[in-house]
Amino acid sequence: MSPRLKISSYVIERLSNLDTNESTGCLYGLMYDGTLLVIGLSIELFENDKNTFKQLLLNLPAEIELCGVVKFGESLSMESSLKDIIQEVDITDNPLVILINKDKNMKAHFLVHDKFEETKYEVVNAEELWKQFLHVRLNTVLPLSCEATFSGVKNIMQNKRKKIASGQVSFHIDGTAVYLFGVASDVGLTGTNTEATIGELIDSKNPEQLSKKKKHNTNIVEIVNVNLVMKSTKDILSDKLVKTAVKMMTTQRKPAFCISMPLRVDTLAIIHRSTKLLDLYTVLVESACRSLRLLESVLLEQLGQEGIGDGAGLRLPETYHYLPQELGHFITRIVPRGIPDESMEKERRLLHEQLGLPLTKPIFRRGNAYSGNSGGRLLNPHEAIAPTPPKPDVTVALLRGRYAYYHYMQDNFNDDGWGCAYRSMQTIFSWFRYQGYTTVEVPTHREIQQCLVKIGDKPSSFLGSKQWIGSTEVMFCLETLLGVQSRIVFANTGAELQFYAPELVHHFQTHGTPIMIGGGVLAHTILGVEYNSVSNETRYLILDPHYTGAEDLTVVINKGWCGWKNSDFWNKAAHYNLCLPQTKPTI
Amino acid sequence: MVRTVYSPEYCLQYLEQYASQEIFVTGLILGQITEARENVIHLARTPEEKNSDSTSENSSVSDKAEAVRNLLGVSEAWVADHAKHVTRMLPGGMFVQGVFITSDEDIFEDPNYFSKVRSILNYTYKVLHANEYMYGNCPYTNERLVLHMSTNTKVLTCKTVEVGSNVKNTIIKPVDWKFLSKPQQWQRLDCYYEFDDVYPVIVKKSGISVKHQFQQILESAHKTIESSVMFIDGELRNGSEALEQLIKKKKPKNSSKSIQDMAKSMHVSLFVPFENSLPETVEYLECDGSIHFSGVVSSSVFMCPKATINEAIAAVKQDIVRSLASRFTMHCDALIDDNLLPEEKVCFNEPPRRVLVPVGTLYLCDYLFPGEAPAEALLSVRELLDLQITETDVVCDVETPADTSEFDALDRDASSEELLATPQEASQFMYITGICFAMLVLIVSIIIHYYDSILEVITKLLTRS
Repeated sequence: MSPRLKISSYVIERLSNLDTNESTGCLYGLMYDGTLLVIGLSIELFENDKNTFKQLLLNLPAEIELCGVVKFGESLSMESSLKDIIQEVDITDNPLVILINKDKNMKAHFLVHDKFEETKYEVVNAEELWKQFLHVRLNTVLPLSCEATFSGVKNIMQNKRKKIASGQVSFHIDGTAVYLFGVASDVGLTGTNTEATIGELIDSKNPEQLSKKKKHNTNIVEIVNVNLVMKSTKDILSDKLVKTAVKMMTTQRKPAFCISMPLRVDTLAIIHRSTKLLDLYTVLVESACRSLRLLESVLLEQLGQEGIGDGAGLRLPETYHYLPQELGHFITRIVPRGIPDESMEKERRLLHEQLGLPLTKPIFRRGNAYSGNSGGRLLNPHEAIAPTPPKPDVTVALLRGRYAYYHYMQDNFNDDGWGCAYRSMQTIFSWFRYQGYTTVEVPTHREIQQCLVKIGDKPSSFLGSKQWIGSTEVMFCLETLLGVQSRIVFANTGAELQFYAPELVHHFQTHGTPIMIGGGVLAHTILGVEYNSVSNETRYLILDPHYTGAEDLTVVINKGWCGWKNSDFWNKAAHYNLCLPQTKPTI
Repeated sequence: MVRTVYSPEYCLQYLEQYASQEIFVTGLILGQITEARENVIHLARTPEEKNSDSTSENSSVSDKAEAVRNLLGVSEAWVADHAKHVTRMLPGGMFVQGVFITSDEDIFEDPNYFSKVRSILNYTYKVLHANEYMYGNCPYTNERLVLHMSTNTKVLTCKTVEVGSNVKNTIIKPVDWKFLSKPQQWQRLDCYYEFDDVYPVIVKKSGISVKHQFQQILESAHKTIESSVMFIDGELRNGSEALEQLIKKKKPKNSSKSIQDMAKSMHVSLFVPFENSLPETVEYLECDGSIHFSGVVSSSVFMCPKATINEAIAAVKQDIVRSLASRFTMHCDALIDDNLLPEEKVCFNEPPRRVLVPVGTLYLCDYLFPGEAPAEALLSVRELLDLQITETDVVCDVETPADTSEFDALDRDASSEELLATPQEASQFMYITGICFAMLVLIVSIIIHYYDSILEVITKLLTRS
């Protein structure tokens, strides 16, 4: 019997926006409870050997497997290219074939006994997806030392995978007493009952977070951290117990070069909340092995490069996880440490093309990496505001991507009464970091002042002072520190501001950066704009840097420190200067 | 509160036996100290000092014998050496807790004698401190026991003397020494710790020795074992709980054989997290081969049932590291060629293996070199523990010696491709021979089958001619 079919709304969205000349794509999904859920897709670039679906699978969280193909065209036929991919589908006996024509009409079929059977499907929206599924993140460090050759690396990595798959490893779920054991032990797990599911464990771990999550319906990605421990004792009762006393064997060879490094395994798996903890073991083993394969490919690629062929220039592989909003699933990349993002553009371009992502903005630079760590600052507080239902003639344009909320009194630094523009500038700066445009640290007030003194905009007495800055200073700093150009918009009065509404809409749609606005004695950050083209009525999504309280999302939203403001928010009599940071198309 | 020490009753008889002979004897006190209780397990007389050239010069032997008639003639180094060797025989959680002396002088009163006692204890402390992986000095206290029995009065006195400090006024405290009529209960904990690591051999300018390599293995093993998580009978336990509570918990499940359960050993498993302290860099080195370190360390520790889980965990960890350190030291002391990479392509270092020897109600251990018989263990038990046991008492199967055929196989494996090619050629030869033989069988069978007709043809031919 063919499985039930569900498709993530991200996949539907991507398919309907996709514009490609290729004829085929691959579909990736996972099986749970007799259901096939399609989570991702890629375009098959046949001419490029390296970027096949097999390689891409290593970049996806464990449990996601190849599940079928997507065919761009009018009719279904078993071409060889299609067949080749379908043969590789392991996850189900009935590979999925989606046909999508020029008008974006989509039909899904299961291949049953070499015949296409059209099938109905259910669309799973983003909210539902994040509610039902969670990610398990396995972190561990394996010491690696081997000969600096292709075969040396291949062998040792194979050994490591064998060891992990041998049943000797155990997994410990962080913050709990739960250990999962492999076949080498008598029991599957300890620390909880054998019927427990991962969802239950997480809910019991932090009940207060559960209620919080319900209050603000943000799409929180739940990540369960797990680490790996190795059973280093043998089972005394086992019949296979070999009791040979410790011994050392030394094998001499021709002198050769060896590499030795800590291999940091950092890998994700996606699982349904109802997954039993007992079943998590095999998922984690697969996840670790997938990560080792990806690490292997990165090491081999480095070894193959000229100049470091003997291993001397080998760099430590570093793992980054990305959650691009367009994809709705994680992509894990491993890059050699210390190689600047700029010199790895080619690889990223291929990945963009393969995933059908825009070629105009960075998505897989180090800065884009997903991180729950924001130094204690709130990330994207505006997402907690209930969205307004769409109205005719009304355009809403928001900034894209992530930023951190910088405001007064943070970092134990008292800037109450003078630092608002600095904080707004920091928020903008954080946006450029999170969007991967830069890896430069967000500058402190002093560093901002230093920058302005250095370029001659301010006298040296400015350093350490409590003087305000305005939009032009923000522009200068962005240009000097980041090479980002800005447009300055000048409004004579607060009332005049609304004439610029269409321009702001355009700004958010094209550049998507936060805007700093200074007027009178106040500076604010504009995150979005709502414009009624008939009535000219305009509302602004404001992030207020004058907030002096704690990092409490509820307070920030309920008290309006982040929220929609009408035109009368602006002082009718004051002049206003807006700094609109511009982005350049880049990958 | 006065420190209380519990000792088996036979120790009293042991002391009295020497005291009644009115001879001066010194020896070591072996025991276990836990938060809840301190137990002595054995007293072991320090063997008579042997002079290396005693066989050649008889006069010096008599001199020596004369000298050790009293405490002042005892060599600190000799006692320390005894303590070092005895420590190798102790499972984790057991230590040399002090010294005993039978003599006619009052060693606590006479300043000369007392300073000698202090000097012996301090010297021993220093010697045992030299190799931290041996856990020679009990980490829980710096106060050593001094037990004295007067040969005149047979009066027993015990005090503690602080060691390892430079303070002139050594702290001396009284001790309440109690003999137990009933044997002390012990909870046994067993495990097999497994090694299976491959390292590259990195030769520096100075060359590399086996000793050095073993030291590196020991260091890394120590770090790993220290960071490991320990399960008892498959479960993670609360560290502050007493061992006996685990036994009680077990009881209701199968209450019928609860008494047997008490004596049953607990199975320990260790889980090691992978090292997080590795340097965050890629090291790039020239290496001349590889090292495969493999095999098991069997561990059996004995804890007072009142001891906590944490104390038991510490004892198991000490035991594995101490056993490893003991083997390596003994192996290196016996080595002739300390070069890790000698002429041969494959070099095998097989340190002595562990055997268990019964002492009272528990087991201590000894080590046997490859080829040594269990009888060798009797010797060290007699010499170092002053105890008579029989060969059958030695538990020899906790570990097995390395299979030499395994080594041969590895040797062949590593020797080179030429050797590997041989079996293939051989099989090819077999194949051809096989075919030839089959052909022959076929021809013969054809001949037999058509024998009559062939004969007929031949006769025809013959008659024609």
